[in-house]
Amino acid sequence: MMSEIFNIQFLHPSAFYLLGGLFIPLFKGKIKQGYMLFVSLMAFFAVVVMPHGTYGVYEFLSWKLTFGDVDKLSKVFAYIFTIMGVIGIIYSIHVKNDGEHFAVFYYVGGSLGVTFAGDFLTLFLFWEVMAFSSVFLVWFRKSPSSVDSGFRYLLWHVAGGLILLAGIILQYSISGDLSIQYLPFHGWWPTDLQSLASFLIVIGFIVNAAVPPFGAWLPDAYPAATVTGAVFMSAFTTKTAVYALIRICAGSEMLIIMGVIMAIYGVVYAVLENDARRLLAYHIISQVGYMVAGVGLGTQMAINGVVAHAFCHILYKSLLFMGTGSVLYMAGTAKLTELGGLYKTMPRTMIYTIIGGLSISAFPFFSGFVSKSITVAAFGEAHLTWAFMALMLASAGTFLHTGLKVPYFIWFGKDRGLKAKEPPWNMELAMIIGSLFCVGLGVFYKSLYALLPYPVHFEPYTAYHIWETLQVLFFTQLGFFLLLKKLWCEDTISLDTDWFLRKGADAFLRFTKPLANIEYNFIGEIYEYIIQKPVMGVAKIFKMVDTVIVDGSLNGLGKLTLACSRKMQNVQSGQIQHYAMVMVAGFIVLIVIIMVLP
Amino acid sequence: MKLLDIIEVLRTKAAKRIAYGALILLIVVDFIIPRHEVHFFGDNIRGFWSLFGFIACVLIIIISKWIGHLGLMQDESYYDE
Repeated sequence: MMSEIFNIQFLHPSAFYLLGGLFIPLFKGKIKQGYMLFVSLMAFFAVVVMPHGTYGVYEFLSWKLTFGDVDKLSKVFAYIFTIMGVIGIIYSIHVKNDGEHFAVFYYVGGSLGVTFAGDFLTLFLFWEVMAFSSVFLVWFRKSPSSVDSGFRYLLWHVAGGLILLAGIILQYSISGDLSIQYLPFHGWWPTDLQSLASFLIVIGFIVNAAVPPFGAWLPDAYPAATVTGAVFMSAFTTKTAVYALIRICAGSEMLIIMGVIMAIYGVVYAVLENDARRLLAYHIISQVGYMVAGVGLGTQMAINGVVAHAFCHILYKSLLFMGTGSVLYMAGTAKLTELGGLYKTMPRTMIYTIIGGLSISAFPFFSGFVSKSITVAAFGEAHLTWAFMALMLASAGTFLHTGLKVPYFIWFGKDRGLKAKEPPWNMELAMIIGSLFCVGLGVFYKSLYALLPYPVHFEPYTAYHIWETLQVLFFTQLGFFLLLKKLWCEDTISLDTDWFLRKGADAFLRFTKPLANIEYNFIGEIYEYIIQKPVMGVAKIFKMVDTVIVDGSLNGLGKLTLACSRKMQNVQSGQIQHYAMVMVAGFIVLIVIIMVLP
Repeated sequence: MKLLDIIEVLRTKAAKRIAYGALILLIVVDFIIPRHEVHFFGDNIRGFWSLFGFIACVLIIIISKWIGHLGLMQDESYYDE
């Protein structure tokens, strides 16, 4: 069985990350850096040589688990995930904390596992690996606020994961089939058991796709993550959700409305936002909105657009996070009200960030132009004019914030006299590679189109399309400079649906405090009389028996048990971070057991 | 240092004038550019996307700020209290 996963035809790219991650602590210095880069490159080449087909099928209890379902759709997502893995690892190669590298490896490995999963159970397992590993990228920032953000992040994803699991179980009980299949959801609420199953599965997915009101975890956690962790997070969670949505519910109309709302919602919050990385996080919601809407439309052209856009989005959004991350790393803050005038000391970082900004704004000859326009044009051709106009409006908003507001207030604006230098060589190298991809995909777009799941009949570079885009973008720029005073950043935070979590928790505590008192005073005493005392009594008897009967030869065993329990004491730290780590370790053991079992 | 010089040139008044000239050029050329098949009313109006871009930008800024000041924007210590 093990031989199947290690044959030459199909090497699961996840395996490189999941197994490779275990050996990171064994290496030091340059060798470790080389090792991590090597593993990520190997995973990429595993995708390159991978033929289409079904691999890695294992019987586990009465279920059939499929780890390697390879077709055009899964392959194009695997390409971008592994490319992003390489770029991200270059960007973060200087990080000293092994735990952070480990979390990254499991996060990337999890996303690849979801991509190639052929059944819902495998998908769910890797889905949870992603949640439990990525939360460490938030916690490793090690500030009190990031610990809190991490817990809220985990809360959202555990809740979403449980809803997904409920849907999967229901689907299994109805059909007796766990394989991933097309289960579109129509309308706004479930009408029978089958539609309830797909409804729950869709809800599980859209929590990860950050569809409001379930999307507040994204702008909450990403700016709280480490400089390098946020680069990875911007790429994987939402895009695996988009991938899952394409697989299971392309053509579900409610996604069109959700997607358009997302696209606008992200833009509105971006106006209010002062933290550069949180602003970009809101723009992830906006950009994923295009994808969710495209999945909802579900035509071949729209799906092509969604996949192309996810591909380009991962590259330019990570580039933007790398640029602003470099500013945070070198200047110590990402708040626009505390930044300004950095063009004198960090001009190269500025160029890379602007390239990311022009790409996300779909400027001609940058990657967004060849990808976003497919989806938007699909709405035009479907004569859904309202959605088409709303997405064009969001495009203007995207350029306004990511292309203009972020670079202007960081590198120009009011000079704050910060003496931040260009970031270390590896961070800059990663940004150069990201920039080359952004321009390269905009120019050599045919090679991207060849990877898309359906044949492409779309030509982005027509005179009218270029001209329409240039007009929108340049007149947005005019508006920006005319209204610059109004747009000046304010030192505030914006309330989102995580308000209910944060304030709700307070209310819940206030409500449960009297209950806790009852529990402590009343139930505690009952417990003492009914359970503790009799148990202690029995224990006393045993102790007497013990001291009388047990002879010295057993003392050695006792010492061993003592030593063991001292070790066990450390496991029971009471810190959820440690429990989460144990859960991830348990998952690895589970996977190994499944593979080794005959 | 060459990169810095280029940035400084782009910050001069002359560069600004060229940019305004480019805006006018954008609208003028829109009158002669060939159109693809018409999908909605805006495709027939010359300079439609210029107007759209400008109005979109102004609306986004004004409406978002208005919503923000209704209560969405709070002091940074809001959740600490």
